[in-house]
Parts: sequence; C-alpha cells; structure tokens
Amino acid sequence: MELLSEQGLRLDGRRPEELRKIRCKLGVFEQPDGSAYLEQGNTKVLAAVYGPHQVRGGRVKANADSAIVNCQYSMATFSTGERKRRPRGDRKSQEMTSHLKQALTAAIKTEIYPRSQIDIFLEVLQADGGNYCCCINAATLALIDAGIPINEYVVGCTASLANASVPMLDISHLEETTGGPSLTIVAMPLSKKIVVAEMLERFHVDQLEKILNLALKGCQQIHAVLDAAVRNHMTEIGSASAWGQTFGT
Amino acid sequence: MPPDTQIKETEDIICVPGLRICAADNKHVAGKGTYERQGYIYSTLAGILHLVQQKEEGFVVEVHSSNEQSVVPVPGNIVTAKVMTINLRMAICQIRCIGDTVLSQPYRGILRREDIRATEKDKVEVYNSVRPGDIILARVLPVNEVQSYQLSTAENELGVVIAHTSAGVPMVPISWDQMQCPKTYVKENRKVAKIVPEDIAVD
Repeated sequence: MELLSEQGLRLDGRRPEELRKIRCKLGVFEQPDGSAYLEQGNTKVLAAVYGPHQVRGGRVKANADSAIVNCQYSMATFSTGERKRRPRGDRKSQEMTSHLKQALTAAIKTEIYPRSQIDIFLEVLQADGGNYCCCINAATLALIDAGIPINEYVVGCTASLANASVPMLDISHLEETTGGPSLTIVAMPLSKKIVVAEMLERFHVDQLEKILNLALKGCQQIHAVLDAAVRNHMTEIGSASAWGQTFGT
Repeated sequence: MPPDTQIKETEDIICVPGLRICAADNKHVAGKGTYERQGYIYSTLAGILHLVQQKEEGFVVEVHSSNEQSVVPVPGNIVTAKVMTINLRMAICQIRCIGDTVLSQPYRGILRREDIRATEKDKVEVYNSVRPGDIILARVLPVNEVQSYQLSTAENELGVVIAHTSAGVPMVPISWDQMQCPKTYVKENRKVAKIVPEDIAVD
C-alpha cells in the first residue's frame, strides 16, 4: 500500500501539502474557566482550563515570581480501535504531558500571576493521528477562552515523508503507522519561533529543511483557522454581553 | 445585519493574542492586556481594543476581555476575606474579593496575631478580634510564606465588617472593639472596621 498514488493524491484524497478539515468551538463547558473542542480530521480533543487559582497540594510549591502550569493528557479508552486500558498515567501520557507543559509554559505570560497555578486538562475522544498537535491547538483555544494572557497562538502540526522523497502535511494514523518518518512541530507562527520539535523514524538530513518548512507552513494555515474561530466566538460573545455599551462609553 | 449593529461592530476593534497593535513610542504605552516586544505593542488577550487618554498627548493601549476574573492578590491590596478557623496565634481566612473584583476561586490568607492591631500587639487575643464566619477587610502584606497570603487589619478602616451571633443575627458595631446583637443585646468583642453601615440602628 503506497502512501502517495501516481496522480499525487493521498489515501484519503488529499494532496501532500493539504491539511485535514479543522472544526473547533470555544466555551463548550460552563464549569471550567475556559474550554474548547477541536476536531482535526477524525481526531477529536476536549480541553479545559482552570485558573489562575491558589496552589494546592502539599508537594507542589508555589513560585514566587510566576505561575505554575499543570497539564494532564488523557486518552479515552474508546479513542482508539483497540480499547485502551489506562487512559492516563502510562509512560506515553506522561511524556505527552511534559511536552504540553513545555509548549504552553512558553506561551502563557506566567509572570503576571505569581504564586498561583493554571490547570489544563486535555482529553482525546478519538485518535486518528496528530493527537499531540490537536491537544496543543485545543489548549490554545481554551486558554484564550479563559482570558489568560498569552504571547500568541501556539500551533502544532505534523509533517512526514512519502515514498522517501515527497513531504506530506498533517499525517493521519494510517500514515503514521506505516513506517514513514514523522516530524511534529509546535510553533508560534507570528514570531516564527519553534517551541517543541519531535521526530520519529529516520530520514536524510537533506530532506529536513523541506519537511520543516512544510510543517511551519501548516502551522500558519492552522493559525488562520484558529484565529477565525476566535474572532467569530468573540463577535458572538461581544454581541451577547453588549460589549460596546459596557466599554465604549 | 442591521445597520447600527454593523456600525457598532466596525467601531470595536477585535484583538487576538499575538496581534501587533502599534509601535511603542512616546505617545503609546502598553497597558493592561498587552505587552511590548522589540518596539511594538502586542495583545495578549482576546478582546476589544481601548485607547485610554493620559495627561495631554499620551495613550495607554489596553485590551479588555469579556471575562475579567484573572486577578491575583498583590501586596498592598485591600481584600475582603472570610474567617475560616482561628487558633491562639493566627486566623485562617479565605480571600473572596480583591477591591471590587469578586474572585472566582478563593485564595488562602493568614491573619497573624501580631497583625491584627497597630498598637498593644502583645495584648491581642485572636478570639476577641475575629471569629469564624466573620467577614473582614484586610490589607495584603508582602509574602513570606509559600502557600498563603499574609493579611493585616492594623488600620482603623480594616477589621470585621460583618459578624453574626450564634443565633445567626447580624450584629451592630457599637465601638471600635465591640459589637452588639440588636435582639438579645449581647455584646461581643471584635476588631471592628471603621465603616458606617447604612440604615442600621439599635432598637
């Protein structure tokens, strides 16, 4: 089974440089301070943000000059074809949690909230490749919904190499598991900074620049989609709460 | 879309995090919801842009979000707290408001025995100053403990503002250190805040 056909189409009908369809919604829960739901193809992620609130727990010690960012990554037992026994706490989830914390700490302005804590919970409802990137994108939307100041959007995207020569963007689960190398990039598209970079399998270093540029281009496209969703959400919220009358006068 | 709605929407400039607003020069200063980086002012919140006039020529660039609950107590703030437990040395409180802002999540504060009164610190008894369930006004001290905020009521305007008797009746302040039940006329000791409540009189 080839990843790319002779006509240049992928298994799901996309061209190599195309993203899957992204759908997202902010404010899906009332109880958290911020929440978001994101679909990227068949991958579905829920994010919830609590905080900033008081640091609790005996072991955790508050920072005197910045907030503590606490992340939890979880995959539902029904999220994969084969049922998962441990939704969280296994080694892969802990690694994902650590990466998420690193990426989100780089974006959040933690110095505004000394000796406090920001909790971010992420739940993968359906996994079809690119789970980590979907979690990053959903967490960014949830943070914006919570009103926590962030430097800019943190956007994640994956890229791969098909037939050892053609870069592909936003790979699905089938393309991930059939042995192709994959590169995961979490970037801030406006300032062009890379926050997290992860690579699986091997490819020649000559191909790295091509794949990296394609991943960054994908990040910019995802940023445009998220930006449009946030503006739509804010227009609705502003109309509902009579923004102009409250703050304009 | 109605025309006045359209006019209103065009008037409000929507900002998203990372949006570059303007250059940081003598006239424009980064305010709330923004930050400055490499000579430009960027937004950190998703909200509406505001230009606040300052002095004669300057502007403070601010971005206001729809949910403004992200406030952390800062030393020097006047906070409203509820006393939860007391012992011989301190009173453990829950900070519910910072100024006029109601917190969505309470913060933990400690009112030590030495910080209850400005004078006669060695004669202070916590039980005769605050009791569990009281609502107090306090000022946040510079922090020296990790898990809590230090509070102080060592000012005339700070102290207990709402107190109830064991029967649940709100008491009326009658002096700086006493409150009285308007029904049973029982007097209890409190460190009373110097605030005159409206429409309250002893029968």
